[in-house]
Amino acid sequence: MSAEGLLARRSLTRNRVRFAVSVGGVALALSLTLALDAIYAGVANQLTTYVDRAGADVWVAQAGVRNLHMVASWLPASVTERVRAVPGVAEATPILYSTDTISAGDERGVAYVIGLPADETMGGPWDVVQGSARVGRGEIIVDQGFARKAGVSIGDTVTVLGGQARIVGLSQGTASLVNSVAFVSFDDFQAVRGGAPVVSFVLVKVATTTSPEAVAAAIGGLVPDVTVQTGTDFSAQERRLVMDMSADVISIMNAVGFVVGLAVVALTVYVATLARRREYGVLKALGARNGLLYRVVLAQSFLSVAAGFLVGLAFTSLLAFVVPRVGLNLELSISAASLIKVGLFAAIIAGLASILPVRQVSSVDPAVVFRRGAAV
Amino acid sequence: MLLARRNLFRDRTRFLLSVLGVAVSIGLILLLAGYRSGIYRQASAYLDHAQGSVLVAERGVRDFMGTSSVLPAGAEQAVRQAPGVARVIPVVSQFVIFEMHGRKDGFFLVGYDPAKGGGPWDLATGREPEADDEIVVDETAARQHGLAIGDQIRLLDRDATVVGLSGGTTFWAGSMAFARISTLQSLLRAPDLQSFLLVTPTGGTDAAAIANRLSIPGTEVLLKGDVIANDRKLMARVYDAPIGLMVAIAFVVGVLVVGLVIYTATIERRREYGALKAIGARNRILYRVVALQALIAAVAGSALGVGLAYGAGTGLMAWRPQFQVEIEPVAIAFVLAASLLMALFAALIPARAVARLEPAEVFRG
Repeated sequence: MSAEGLLARRSLTRNRVRFAVSVGGVALALSLTLALDAIYAGVANQLTTYVDRAGADVWVAQAGVRNLHMVASWLPASVTERVRAVPGVAEATPILYSTDTISAGDERGVAYVIGLPADETMGGPWDVVQGSARVGRGEIIVDQGFARKAGVSIGDTVTVLGGQARIVGLSQGTASLVNSVAFVSFDDFQAVRGGAPVVSFVLVKVATTTSPEAVAAAIGGLVPDVTVQTGTDFSAQERRLVMDMSADVISIMNAVGFVVGLAVVALTVYVATLARRREYGVLKALGARNGLLYRVVLAQSFLSVAAGFLVGLAFTSLLAFVVPRVGLNLELSISAASLIKVGLFAAIIAGLASILPVRQVSSVDPAVVFRRGAAV
Repeated sequence: MLLARRNLFRDRTRFLLSVLGVAVSIGLILLLAGYRSGIYRQASAYLDHAQGSVLVAERGVRDFMGTSSVLPAGAEQAVRQAPGVARVIPVVSQFVIFEMHGRKDGFFLVGYDPAKGGGPWDLATGREPEADDEIVVDETAARQHGLAIGDQIRLLDRDATVVGLSGGTTFWAGSMAFARISTLQSLLRAPDLQSFLLVTPTGGTDAAAIANRLSIPGTEVLLKGDVIANDRKLMARVYDAPIGLMVAIAFVVGVLVVGLVIYTATIERRREYGALKAIGARNRILYRVVALQALIAAVAGSALGVGLAYGAGTGLMAWRPQFQVEIEPVAIAFVLAASLLMALFAALIPARAVARLEPAEVFRG
């Protein structure tokens, strides 16, 4: 380790409490940003689960609908046949979709309710842990987490879409922080909507000889008033929705984390410098230039911040590990982009924090060492 | 306690730094807490302003913002005919995502009948929608997207003309927009769709009594206050986890910084406190001086911090009007109490060390 590094480390670690508080403060401040990024990335992962697992290569929706979450998409039922007729379409399954409340006893949960045709090959539950994977009239498949919380199991009834349905299957991997996914029969769903001949989405599997992009373009060209996207695009749109809607919150929290981190590091480094003034005096008396002393200060703040960054990362990783295991449907996903951003934050914080003590260092009079009882 | 004050003010930079450290911490905690309160306030804006005290929804639905509700046919008629009902306002609500300037944004679209009510309560400019291709959007959202009256916007598979701008209608996931109920019915391809009924009881009729009396198959009759509470609960589940976590972290960091500031300020005066002892001061006096100094710095910092929070909140709302910051007195009291306690605690730890010192020791080394 260089002389500066050694001096910096010594100066920092001599006062353990101060060092711990400084590192802890930076860690928490950086965690603020790291954890929030991770939470939103996790939410984005969860929200795309249905789109990712529905098994469709192409999604056909009402014109202007590019997302699933919270929105509505209603197409004339005749669209399904028109989509089937497009070259390259191997299979087309219409589904009905609405964000509804499922309740059983006192437990209520928001759910994507999917209406599935009897002969569906796509869009149904992908991981049924108990019971049937097919729903008939008056039946429903719910998320097992919801069932557990509500204290219901197969054979019990729940309230959904303003009516009752009997649970015939429990699926897993169908719950997010925001909602779960439930599956009912297409006919039940349609009856609730007054029997109008509509569908929400048409899910398409493409022939092996062609690509989803080509078929999506073909459907878009042949069927009017629809928005056609490949499954990958649809999923990406959903991800962007989360990011765009949370962008402002994230930038505020980033700013807060930055300011708090800066305040903590600046303060501890400044105080550490003040407290070591005599030692800087000694160094100066020994012939050290201001440049060296600055570097010592800079090294101090970088050391605190680097330690804080590592502790913060460990803390966030711990959160990411613990949170999904305590029954919260919350997933934290730490991305490389977020790590780079926070790392950059940390470096800037360290740099800025070392500006304040510069004046202190340069004004240290080497003679201070020789004065007895001088103020520390 | 002249001594405490004089000692404190002698080194102005250090004192200022302590105060500033405390102020920044307190300001940040309050700002975040206020931001969180503001979100809640915004979430209930529509129901707060809508007429009626009873809400009729699809069976099983207990909230307004979170889910789509579909009322059974004939529900409006049945409610109208019930005794004690003065007014019934049907509305259709649907969340719509749109994209402008490469960024996704959301409208909570409310379909209403201008003759019956349920529309914007603060129409800043323009008029209510008179035709099916007309829409009233939030003025803040309009400003952000560069929309003015007369502009066309794409609403799913059709175009709509902006005819009015409403105030106070932004919320955490976007903004509200208003169109005729028939616009939404055609947009959602559901000709007679009604999502909710806002019911006003006749004078002298109790809302709870109406709620108990109304029994229409396939519906849920709710008190408006309960629905607002449910919306908040729903939001708390969805949104509060991240924000709550942030407020908690900011609180811990903030209080820690207060402690750190006061701790270092005290520890750096150890020598002076030692000198006090050397001239015969008792430990009791020493503690009092230390505590008083900590309190002066903490109180000055806190006062500045509260001001800072209000300033930053106002600035934030001016910069991004969709954010509402509501700094609540309870939050201020709580944060101040916690920081003062922390300040005292942080000051007394090093003071104890000094108290145990032999007076002569301070002059050594």
